This record gives sequence, structure tokens and C-alpha cells, in this order.
Amino acid sequence: MEVSTSNSRGIHLPGMEIAKASKNRYEVMIGPAHPGSGHMRIFVEVDGDIMVKVDPDIGFVHRTMEKLAEGRDWIQNIPLFERIAILDACNITLPYVRAVEKLLGIEAPERARYLRTLLCEINRVASHLYGMGIFGVFLGHSTLYMWGFGDREVFIDLAERLTGARLTHTYPVFGGVRRDIPDDFPEDARKATRYMRKRLNEYAKIFLNNPNIRSRLENVGVLTKNQAAELGLVGPNIRASGIKYDVRLNEPYEAYGDVDFEIPVFEEGDSLARAWARVEEIRQSLNIIDQVVTWLERNPRENFMHEKFWKTAPKLYKDVYEGKISYSPKYRIKLMPIFASLKVPPGKSFARVEAGRGEIVYYVESDGKNLPYRVRVVSPSFRNVIAFKYVMPGHRLMDLPAIYGSFDYFPPAFDR
Amino acid sequence: MPAKVSLKKNPKRNPLGKVFAGNIGALAVGLKYFFDPNRITLLYPHEYIKLNKGYRGFIVLIKEKCISCSSCARICPAAAMRMLSIKVYNEKLKKYMIKKYPVINYNRCIFCGLCVDVCPTEALYHVPYHDIVYENMNDMILSLEDFQKEPENIEFKEGIPVKYYFDESRGLVKTPYMEELEKQGEKEEKNQKVEGEGEKGAG
Repeated sequence: MEVSTSNSRGIHLPGMEIAKASKNRYEVMIGPAHPGSGHMRIFVEVDGDIMVKVDPDIGFVHRTMEKLAEGRDWIQNIPLFERIAILDACNITLPYVRAVEKLLGIEAPERARYLRTLLCEINRVASHLYGMGIFGVFLGHSTLYMWGFGDREVFIDLAERLTGARLTHTYPVFGGVRRDIPDDFPEDARKATRYMRKRLNEYAKIFLNNPNIRSRLENVGVLTKNQAAELGLVGPNIRASGIKYDVRLNEPYEAYGDVDFEIPVFEEGDSLARAWARVEEIRQSLNIIDQVVTWLERNPRENFMHEKFWKTAPKLYKDVYEGKISYSPKYRIKLMPIFASLKVPPGKSFARVEAGRGEIVYYVESDGKNLPYRVRVVSPSFRNVIAFKYVMPGHRLMDLPAIYGSFDYFPPAFDR
Repeated sequence: MPAKVSLKKNPKRNPLGKVFAGNIGALAVGLKYFFDPNRITLLYPHEYIKLNKGYRGFIVLIKEKCISCSSCARICPAAAMRMLSIKVYNEKLKKYMIKKYPVINYNRCIFCGLCVDVCPTEALYHVPYHDIVYENMNDMILSLEDFQKEPENIEFKEGIPVKYYFDESRGLVKTPYMEELEKQGEKEEKNQKVEGEGEKGAG
């Protein structure tokens, strides 16, 4: 296939190239706004019904997150970075918090680590259910869409009870977390996990083992082990191709070293395996939620903020925590006014976390001022999107949604 | 205990064949929910969710407690909160002094709650609701007087309060709030009793 990669001035602009016309080749544009997808475009060149060349074109929801971060105080960046992937808020902001904690030379106490793990897993379940719902509607299975989004509500409600907000939790802060679990939370969480476990079996019956869906997913979009490693993909997508890579496994952070769970790895690498990998991951996340909640219940409610805080906190702060003030909720810590004008010692740091869609990496550089010098974010969707280019050619056009959905794309996350 | 890797494979197709295993299984589940659906829909204008106390809704200022430290305006990630300078008569010094008080712009507020958490005297608090209609955008910039009042929620006048409870078989169950209020009260009393006994035992 002959396509000139640049126009006469030598500037490469996607979609603006002059291509030689060839017989029976047509260019189909999926996006930038099509139902189900976010704002992203895919150039597809078809020969009859077969996709010949696929080129993802990203950047429609680019918000200059990294540059914006350079103009905000350290703590103000936490609500900002939540907007990268709003449905996975805790996982997305956690590496930033961890990177800044490394620069500050502090470490979150044990209870805070467990609380962070709890919200991360709640977010992961909600994020996978969202992805599954979108996947369902891509394949014309609106039942799964409704189910996925309805069941996601259970976990959003759990997160709301824990943090006070449905999606933008702003939960982990430097040195700890902002709230402890309410009194009735463990019971609610157990009910939710028991419900979800039962529900996953029904998901398998109505969606994954459904012959109509199976025939659309099986052996479609096969990503071999070598290919996945070469492209540098992350998250459940490579674990579905047989690569044993997970940040929780290779470099345990927070409380992941202490809880007992499995990393499901599938061998097939097709769309069905990617869908199953997510279902199995939800199951493991539910196990983690159960274990963490039990741990939190057994251990005393103290020290979910750095110990310096408890030593210097005035009486009012302790009253707020104990719920002695009538109008404010219980188990809430007050942030010290120093958070508003925090200065981080100069240095460079790096942190990574396994978010719902894969590994998210933050590189933070400080020059000792109250603003970060540089924050670099590499989000999981950004690393996964290149797979479309290599997996899709050779398939029929009707397989595009099946492959596209199975990668659990999230345009705001790869545009940042 | 670190994580373990578990190798898995896609579940195989049922040997009984497509028709008996897959389709009938899917249809059975579909039929089950056709007759007994899991409905969590909120009929919004007629019903509203009675949210928990910890919910981060609109913010209210208690002017007497404010010490004009400006921490809330400093920490606000969206620059929604600004300090307003006002002449106040100081009775101790017997003269007029300029004092600063925060005001909020709901055009910008993202309800992160950092201002409430950073306030050293707990002069700000959240109300547990977030649905208010403003007639124009200028009304969303509150004056100091408005910022001290709890905003009026129109839903409270007409709607029925409901609450979602977790349930093992249904996930979330929507229940009218008033009925549950009494039960909850009883529960809390019981819990307090149990806790009291526990403390005695521990002591």
C-alpha cells in the first residue's frame, strides 16, 4: 500500500495526507464523536470489508494536564489529576501522592495504606464494570450496558460513604487519607461484595458464555505474547496475552504486599480473554475488599494520617475526628494549614501504580518551591491505544467494535 | 502475602452444544430479570436521595468562627473561594477594623471539600445535598449573607426522600426514608448499648 506520509511541505498531519487512490480501497473514519466512543478518531482503510490499515488519531480531549500542574500548589494538583480518568480517581492520583511523599520523606501509616487499598479496589471494580458496560453496548448487547452501569452504582455508593463524593474523591493526601470508614461500612461492603460475586456468574451466563457474543469475540483481535511485549501494552490487556506483569505483583505498594490475592493471566490473547481477564480481576478485587475491610475492623481506628499530625493537632481537630461537633461528620481529619502552602524539597521522584486500565506512571520534579517544576504523566490508555494499529488489520470492519471495546479504551485518560 | 499468578484459560464451550447450554442459559437469566427486575432508578423530580451526613455538598460559613486566616481561599484548587474585606467594629479596641471573610463562586466550585478540611476553626461545613437551581449565573456568586445561610433545596418541598441501602441479593434497594428513620434510630440505640458494654468489658 502506498500512502505518502507527508504533504508537499513535509508536515505530517493525520487525516490531511495526500494518498494515492487505489482501486477498491475506501477510507472510513470512526469518530471523532460516535456513539459509545469518547472523543477519538480511528482512520480505517478498508478493502471490501477487510480492514487494511488502521490508524488511531488521539488528542481530541487534550487538556494540558501536565502544564496546568506546573501552575498549581502541590495539593491542588490532586483534584486536577483526578480529571484524567474520573471513574478511577483514587488509582489515578495515588502515584502522584506517593511520588510527592517520597520527596517529602514521609510514609503513610499502616491504616492509611489499607484505606487507600480499599478505595483503589472499589475504583477498580467500578472502572471494570464501566468498561464492560461500554463493551456490551458496542456489541449491541444493551442488557450488559444497563447491568454494568447499574452494578457500578453499588461501588460508587460505597465510595461515597467512605469519602463523601461519588467520583472525585480527592481521598489520598500527602501523609495519609482524609477519612476513616464509617461505622456501618464493613457490613455494607460485605453485602456489596457478596452481591457482586453472585452477579458475576450471571454476567458470564448472559454475556460471556452467550453463543452470540462468543462467536463475535473468540479468536478476534488476537494479540500474541511477543506482540504485546513489543508494543509495551499494560494492564489486563497484556495479562490476557499471557504476560505476568502487574505492578501489584512486581512492586507491591500500599497494602498489596499483605493481602492475599491472585493475578489472573490468560493465554489466548483474544477479545474474549481480555473480557474474562477483567471479570476475574473483579473477583480478585472483591476478595481484597473483604480482606481489607476485615483488617480495618479488627485494628484500632487511629493513625490514618502521618504521626506528626496527631502529635501537633489541636483539641478542635480531635473533636472533629471524634464527631463532637454537631454539624460535621465523624472520622474526618482536618488538614493542617501548611497543606495550603506546602513546599516540597527539591528532587526528582517517580511512582507507579496499577490502575484499572493498567500501569500509570508519574515523574515529579521539584525545585523547592510551592509549585511543582514538572509533572509527567504516562497513563495506561495512552500505552494501550497503539495496539489498535497492529491488532485490527486483517479483520472485518464489524470486528472493530469488538476489538475496540475489549481494550477498555478511555479517551480522556490517553489525552490527559 | 504477596500476590500470586494464576494461569487461566477461556472457559470451553459447553459440549451440549450452543442451543442447550449457551442460549438457554442466557435466556433463563434474561427471563428471571424480566419478571423480577433489579430497579434502582430514581424518579428524580418526585423523589430525591437523602444523602448521608458526610456527603460533600454545598458549603456554609459560620461567620462567628471565622478568624480570617485565608487558608480556604489559598487551598481552593479551582479558585472558587475568595476573601472579601469588610469593615467590622471591634468592641475591645473600640474602633473599625478591616476583616476578611470568604465568599464562594459556585460557577467554579468542584466540591472537593479541601476548604472545609483546612479551616482551622471548623467555620465551614457541608450540607448533604447538591441540587439547587439558580436563575442566572450571577446568582451563583454568593454574597457574604447568602454564604452564611444553608441554601434552600427545592426538592425538599415537593419530593419524597428516599435512601439506598445495600442488599445481598439486590445490590442497592431504594426505600422511602421516613419508614427507615425509626428502624435506624433503634439500630443506633442498640449499637450504642453494645459499644458501651464492650467498653466496660475492655476496661
